[in-house]
Amino acid sequence: MTAVVETEGLTKFYGRRRGLEDLDLEIRPGEVFGYLGPNGAGKTTTIRLLLDVIRPTRGRMSVLGTDPRDPRVRGRIGYLPGELALEGRERASEYLAFLAGVRGGVSRDRITALAERLEADLSVPMGRLSKGNKQKVGLIQAFMHEPEFLILDEPTGGLDPLVQQEFLAMVREVRAAGRTVLMSSHVLAEVEDVADRVGIVRQGRLVAVEDVAALREKAVRRVEFHFDAPVPREEFEGLPGVRDLRVEGANLSCTIDGRPDALIKAAARFTVVHLVSAEPDLEEIFLTYYSEEEAHHARAGVQEPA
Amino acid sequence: MPALVSKSLRDHRRSLVRWTIGIGAFFALYLSFYPNISQNQDLYGDAALEKFPEAMRDLMGGLTGFTTGTGYLHGVVYQLFGPMLFVVCAAVLGNQAIARPEESGTLELTVTLPIDRRRLVFERFAALALGLLGVAAATFLLAWGLSVATDMGVAFDRILAAHTGVFLLGLLFGALSLAVGAAAGRRGPAMAVVGVVAVGGYIVETMGKNVDAVSWLRWVSPFHYYLDGKPLYQGFPGGDYLVLAGAAAVLLVVAILAFDRRDIGV
Repeated sequence: MTAVVETEGLTKFYGRRRGLEDLDLEIRPGEVFGYLGPNGAGKTTTIRLLLDVIRPTRGRMSVLGTDPRDPRVRGRIGYLPGELALEGRERASEYLAFLAGVRGGVSRDRITALAERLEADLSVPMGRLSKGNKQKVGLIQAFMHEPEFLILDEPTGGLDPLVQQEFLAMVREVRAAGRTVLMSSHVLAEVEDVADRVGIVRQGRLVAVEDVAALREKAVRRVEFHFDAPVPREEFEGLPGVRDLRVEGANLSCTIDGRPDALIKAAARFTVVHLVSAEPDLEEIFLTYYSEEEAHHARAGVQEPA
Repeated sequence: MPALVSKSLRDHRRSLVRWTIGIGAFFALYLSFYPNISQNQDLYGDAALEKFPEAMRDLMGGLTGFTTGTGYLHGVVYQLFGPMLFVVCAAVLGNQAIARPEESGTLELTVTLPIDRRRLVFERFAALALGLLGVAAATFLLAWGLSVATDMGVAFDRILAAHTGVFLLGLLFGALSLAVGAAAGRRGPAMAVVGVVAVGGYIVETMGKNVDAVSWLRWVSPFHYYLDGKPLYQGFPGGDYLVLAGAAAVLLVVAILAFDRRDIGV
């Protein structure tokens, strides 16, 4: 199957300022790709290049197998801009009907169903909508025509936690239907629940692409066991992945790197009263990884002949 | 009607109605003075107006025959204020097409619709032309009606000729503001260019008749192709109006080409 997005050396300069440089990115059909980076790193630049809102300085890209300059390809994409502007006296329902018409038609029931799901009121003039409600209208217009490819720039901004959960459920449904999603965020926590892979951009460059499942596997997590009686320390020493082991009477705590299997099997020989396992903080791993990468780049930079 | 045209017209509905009411009110107010003026030859006759400096009379379009229906209608409505109102109305509409939505950010979603950028500009221009035509048609009927009601004795086709000229002049400036807005993406430059061309063009055309230093510039002034043929006196100046329409078409092409090759919203 051909990639949904394929870029090669994609570069964008705004005058002399670098927006994005030498991006080689592949997004595969049916995956949810999380696109991460701090503000101003080049996420929105990438997205706007893919939609032909801005034009590359150099490099090559294809979206859904075609050049994004072809307007027809945009009908197969759903797009939520990072800074969505909705204004005026027009009602959201009228605006959605207009967008739906241009994209080839969407049933009124579909729009109503999405609005109910996100608890959006479409009868209010758009200029009077709150930020969160504008974001809901933006999500509805991106999802309503069931596009093959969804591009969502900072989709969760302004949404309350319940709506955020509903939104993530919608993203999962899109993936389950075999369609593809690119969503950007400046924090990993927002995308780690739904993303299959994440890419990190910093200062206009893609510094890493990682599989989220692999990242989880690498994750270091803190575990505590409480037993009904004191346990011998030797039983737990030297288990694969177990570090920082502390045994104090009936309590055991450690961190595990990777799979917890060996530790669980060792603990199962005793009576476990209580188990605490903190959710691994992928963000932390990522940042560690990321700063190593940075340091590596910095060294490479120093070694380069002037 | 194409989706973008009908959407633009819907968005402009209120502003178009307001412009129609505004221009209509201006016409009604000024034309209602005519019976009084036509009966006071001493005050408003040619001899009385001779006392104004020549340059000023030139700027006001000559100020002759003010007590006749045609002279009055031309002097107060079709010489300066009528065209300028249409120029401003059209320039504002021209800015609504690209520059304003680009500044506010609403253009972002529009350009990601499956519509070719060239078609987007063309359809926005079509909406501008239709909207302006609506304002022109309504105010034409009003001007004609008032001229009949105040016994001006100006022929229907002469008023139609002058009003058509005002519409074409407006269309030209609308296309100019659209073109600058499509190239620059901002309202400021578009309004500045329209302002300079409109005011400069008007002065060059009117003063140029008697000031040789600028008379050669008259042919580049859009007002030349409206005022020079004296449509209210002599009917449709066909060639001149074709120049206005042609210039608007050229500016539309410029707008399309400029917008098609540009980064949006940067």
